[in-house]
Amino acid sequence: MKLRPFRLTVLCLSLMIPAALVAVVLFLVVYSGQAMVFNGLHFLTDVTWNLGDLYDDPVVVKGIQVPAGAEYGILAFIVGTLASSFLAIIIAVPLSVGTAIFLAEAVPEIERATWRHFPWLPPLRPALAMLVELVAVVPSVVFGLWGIAVLIPFIGHHISPTGSGYGLLAAAIVLALMITPIIASTLFDALCQVPKENRESAFALGSTHFEVVTKAMMPMVRATLIGGIVLALGRALGETMAVLMVSGGGSNILPHSLFSPISTIASFIVGQLDSAEADPTNMSVRALSEVALVLFLITLAVNAAAKLLSSGALNVRKRQ
Amino acid sequence: MTNFTKLLRAGVAALAITAAAGTAHAQVDVPLIESGSSLLYPLFNLWVGAYSASHAGADITTTSTGSGAGIAQSIKGLVQIGASDAYLSDTLAKDHPTVLSIPLAISSQAVNYNLPGVGSLNLSGPILAGIYEGKITQWNDPAIAAANPGVSLPNHVIVPIHRLDGSGDTFIFTQYLAASDAGWASTMHYGTAVSWPPISGEVGAKGNSGMLSALGNNPYGIAYIGISFSDKVKAAGLGQAALLNKAGQYVLPTTANISAAAESVANSTPADERISMIFADGPTAYPIVNYEYAIVDSQQPAPAIAEAIRDFLGWCITEGNDPSFLNAVHFLPLPPAVVTLSQAQIAKIQ
Repeated sequence: MKLRPFRLTVLCLSLMIPAALVAVVLFLVVYSGQAMVFNGLHFLTDVTWNLGDLYDDPVVVKGIQVPAGAEYGILAFIVGTLASSFLAIIIAVPLSVGTAIFLAEAVPEIERATWRHFPWLPPLRPALAMLVELVAVVPSVVFGLWGIAVLIPFIGHHISPTGSGYGLLAAAIVLALMITPIIASTLFDALCQVPKENRESAFALGSTHFEVVTKAMMPMVRATLIGGIVLALGRALGETMAVLMVSGGGSNILPHSLFSPISTIASFIVGQLDSAEADPTNMSVRALSEVALVLFLITLAVNAAAKLLSSGALNVRKRQ
Repeated sequence: MTNFTKLLRAGVAALAITAAAGTAHAQVDVPLIESGSSLLYPLFNLWVGAYSASHAGADITTTSTGSGAGIAQSIKGLVQIGASDAYLSDTLAKDHPTVLSIPLAISSQAVNYNLPGVGSLNLSGPILAGIYEGKITQWNDPAIAAANPGVSLPNHVIVPIHRLDGSGDTFIFTQYLAASDAGWASTMHYGTAVSWPPISGEVGAKGNSGMLSALGNNPYGIAYIGISFSDKVKAAGLGQAALLNKAGQYVLPTTANISAAAESVANSTPADERISMIFADGPTAYPIVNYEYAIVDSQQPAPAIAEAIRDFLGWCITEGNDPSFLNAVHFLPLPPAVVTLSQAQIAKIQ
């Protein structure tokens, strides 16, 4: 058989990405193996996380060397991650649906009404659509800074009963702002692709503009909307820096109100890693690897769900 | 911002001085990497700038990664100089006998509060332990009132603020609590990250700058912040607490009081220099003072690398301990007895 250099090169290159993924997962599983044995299922059901006394002699538990008093339970961080992400989705969905409908339906009317008198003005819709997409590329640390400088004092002084702005609500609002453009631009693109005939038929039947949007257009883009939401959820679950800056870093307690300090899995790993590296038994780093594995599995599940939903495999029912 | 310009000015001044001196040193052309403590990072940048100006061929890269990473990377041989706010633990020192903990300068930490209308405040280790354990929750708690006769304390819930990232500041703060409060020592221990007991209304913040903004954002808050931020703390109108030392006096983190602590520990510092300066003896000794360490493996792969490290670190603890560098970050120079010990350790690097 003739060896085709081009085909071979492309094959190798395309295998690199799955290979890297497999390598990362294998590393996480192998590296955290000892931690899994030590923690058992308590890892997922316990609320207390304690690196133990890293400056005392290690003790041996179940044949494994661990720092004295070490205890690894991540339930609080799983709850913190899911709570902040879902809350962010609840805030972001109405915001982004409104934005997308405004861009797709209201802006052309404004343009028709106003731009007629000022023909030299640049078209409004592409500019606004670009602005929305621009928000999606703002680095997360910028959102975090805004959160500390503006959002936290506002929540602390005007909303929070405890007087502290750091916590679940602040994290959710910052996350919501970060994911709104993802949902909005996906939905906007889909709305633009709704066949003209559907829209115009609805108008011809005497529908109001509101009815055209809600009854003729939105049902057609439902699958895209769900796919966009799930993708945004994936981003929110893994977001690290902005959350670390505004979440209040709660640990050892389950969040019980909107103003409870929380930690998400990603921000918690960043916060603990440096101290874990000083652990002579290395168990702290292994336990953090296990935490990372849990985060990986959660985001994997979310992305798989997104693929299934947006490909229509779950048969999202289309309106007749 | 003012602090930054000050740093910049000090750096420029130092550069000018050393450039003018134009001292000729043995030429070393080996790239060195320094990594670790974010508290030491600004000082290392000043040092490396001045050192490179006077030492042709010096090639030193500085990175800020955190004390734990500094220790780990130095032990693994990934960097030549690991910067750390804490010395090697006994276990690590036993496992890696060739790795040295070399003090380069002296740092300190303030306990700051945001109490409208309260000008001065006395606090002790047991009171702070009570606050961070959730046993003392009100500012007008009898324990705090007893330490502050004549001060009208607000009837308000305390907002304890702690670091949520691993930090040398958490290490020395919890070491002070462990040294002065038996309950904390037995249940909480000390470390760069501890398992903070859950307290309603508590706040975790990232980095000293995060601590500063969290304290500013939270009236009735209390926080521990590295001394290099004291100018910014003052500018934000936040208070600085006097802490109870071993001799039973309430002392502020002034230069004199920090020096007093350093002097009292200088003579008892062992040859490997792994010693805590927390809760030191002495009538005016401030209780939260620490050595800033370079973590260096004494067995380097090549003589040229060892010589470059020796030369640079030797410069840091002599010329580099000049106030023109240290004042910018509110560090203090090593006492002469400790300089001698550090020099002996540096000589072991080969």
